Amino acid sequence: MHMANELLSVPVAAGTLTIAAAGLGFICRKVRHIITSDRLALMGILGAFIFAAQMVNFQLPAMPGTSGHMVGAVLLAIILGPHAGAIVISSVVVIQCLIFQDGGLLALGCNIINIALVPSYLGYFLYRTVTAGRLSSLKTYIGAMLACVCAIEAGAILVPIQAALSGVLAVPFSTFLITMLGVHFLVGFVEGLITVAVLGYLQQVKPDIVVNRLPGKVRLSGKAVLVTFVVFTFIIGAGLSLLASNKPDGLEWSYAERPNQPDFKNFVFNNDSTIAAVDDFHSKYSPLPDYSIKSPEPEETAGEEAATQAGWTSFAGVLGSLITMAVIWVTAWFLRKKQPVKA
Amino acid sequence: MHHAYIDKFAYQDSPIHRLDSRAKFIVLLIFTALVVSLPRTSLSILFCYAVGPVAVLVLAKIPLKFVFKQILLVSPFVLVLALSCPIYDKTPVRVAFGPFFLGTTLGWVRCFVILGKFIVTMLALISLVSTTRFGDLLTGLQKLGLPKLLIIQLGFLYRYIFVLIDKVHHILRARNVRRLKNLGFKKELKIAAAMVGSLLIRSIDTAERINIAMQARGFDRTWHSLSKLRIRRCDLLFALIAISFMLGLYFFVKPVF
Repeated sequence: MHMANELLSVPVAAGTLTIAAAGLGFICRKVRHIITSDRLALMGILGAFIFAAQMVNFQLPAMPGTSGHMVGAVLLAIILGPHAGAIVISSVVVIQCLIFQDGGLLALGCNIINIALVPSYLGYFLYRTVTAGRLSSLKTYIGAMLACVCAIEAGAILVPIQAALSGVLAVPFSTFLITMLGVHFLVGFVEGLITVAVLGYLQQVKPDIVVNRLPGKVRLSGKAVLVTFVVFTFIIGAGLSLLASNKPDGLEWSYAERPNQPDFKNFVFNNDSTIAAVDDFHSKYSPLPDYSIKSPEPEETAGEEAATQAGWTSFAGVLGSLITMAVIWVTAWFLRKKQPVKA
Repeated sequence: MHHAYIDKFAYQDSPIHRLDSRAKFIVLLIFTALVVSLPRTSLSILFCYAVGPVAVLVLAKIPLKFVFKQILLVSPFVLVLALSCPIYDKTPVRVAFGPFFLGTTLGWVRCFVILGKFIVTMLALISLVSTTRFGDLLTGLQKLGLPKLLIIQLGFLYRYIFVLIDKVHHILRARNVRRLKNLGFKKELKIAAAMVGSLLIRSIDTAERINIAMQARGFDRTWHSLSKLRIRRCDLLFALIAISFMLGLYFFVKPVF
């Protein structure tokens, strides 16, 4: 799920951007010697392949009218190895942002972490751990399923955490988290199924393209799918119910405090002088302290007056901006109408 | 799907298109950061910020209809989260707007501010992407210090997205022609997996051919571009105007509600 600019605060966005940039820079440096120049074309085209593969949709059972498609991070990590997979998926996220405007520029750091880095490495790690030793089709099946479900859930968990740290949304942290986990459990499960099915197909048609070769026979049986679904549902369900019944944890508490006090200055208690200085700077230059929300029952006329004044200011701002935009547009329209006559 | 389906406007010509991609990118970054850091309750100031990207879009002759269609296309996730705000935050507030007073809840205000910020930052992003050729943007980003490997990766990706999307359209059409009814989940999944798998094998074959062709032409792992990037006087002027517009709005206009 793509994070948007508006759900983040600037510090969180800057922090995640830094982490993502550092991570990507580190990976690029590390794999410079592993990725030979004949792998470059392959990686680029596999990035494009991810886009194309996401367009292959199929009907989902039990929910008529809905269709699923694959995400592909784990499949790519299994085929290319985690480093190359992470770079490819990161580039996919960047293109989704720049060309298709999916997810904002400031949210790019979050998206790279949630969609590319975490799923690639976690998925690959889980897959390799499960399939270590003698190869067997059961191990591949369990490994791929586990990798897909866990990788996608891990990415999904990060979204509400980042949103909660930013404090833009009013949705309670646990509600958001449970919704994300629930939805992405299904996404991850379908992803696991299609990944296993694709691995099975590759194993039949071209078994040599996977980095560490595939075992004798990978196939999907209805019974195995059912058993996996029940087991995963049980685990996730148990986890979710624990989460729902728990007392609000620290993060939620800090978040729940905020809607009542939009300038959440007392969110962090720290007596450090730098923090105090930053706070001071912030209160001086941030426009936050000046916003004018009026309580529903205006007792003082002074407050009412200020509200009226604020209302007029905002009215003037909006009107002025709209007029400016209209003037620009009309001028450009006139100029453009004139141009063909000139030419 | 043709190559110029999404970014067809990037290949036009206008004063904005001719600006250096680095200047535009940095201005966009500052703009987005400022808009995102605006208080979560001031709506009207967003209109003032919108003037910037709209001016750029109009100057660059990008049809606004296309822009808003594009924004609508990517909005569902934000829309859902924004609309959940009024449900959870029911602090009543009174909004003053000109001669009108409006009683509402803080949740609705937040919802509209989130949507407003979304629209304004998207306008800005689209006004960069649809006025800059992707190759120029990559060259600019390379000069700004992005790793070479990532630049090459992005370049390849951009070049071949449209090729592979064409291929997948063929495959999808073939399936639609042959499948007359829903075949049940297991069969459907198997078919989809075969489609994805064959697409994967095809792209790996394509990559091999491309690699041989590139090696034959002396590929040396660097991204070359024909357009030479130079910071000219008009680039500096653009950056100066844009940044003073933004900072002026940020520091001297008190955001009111």
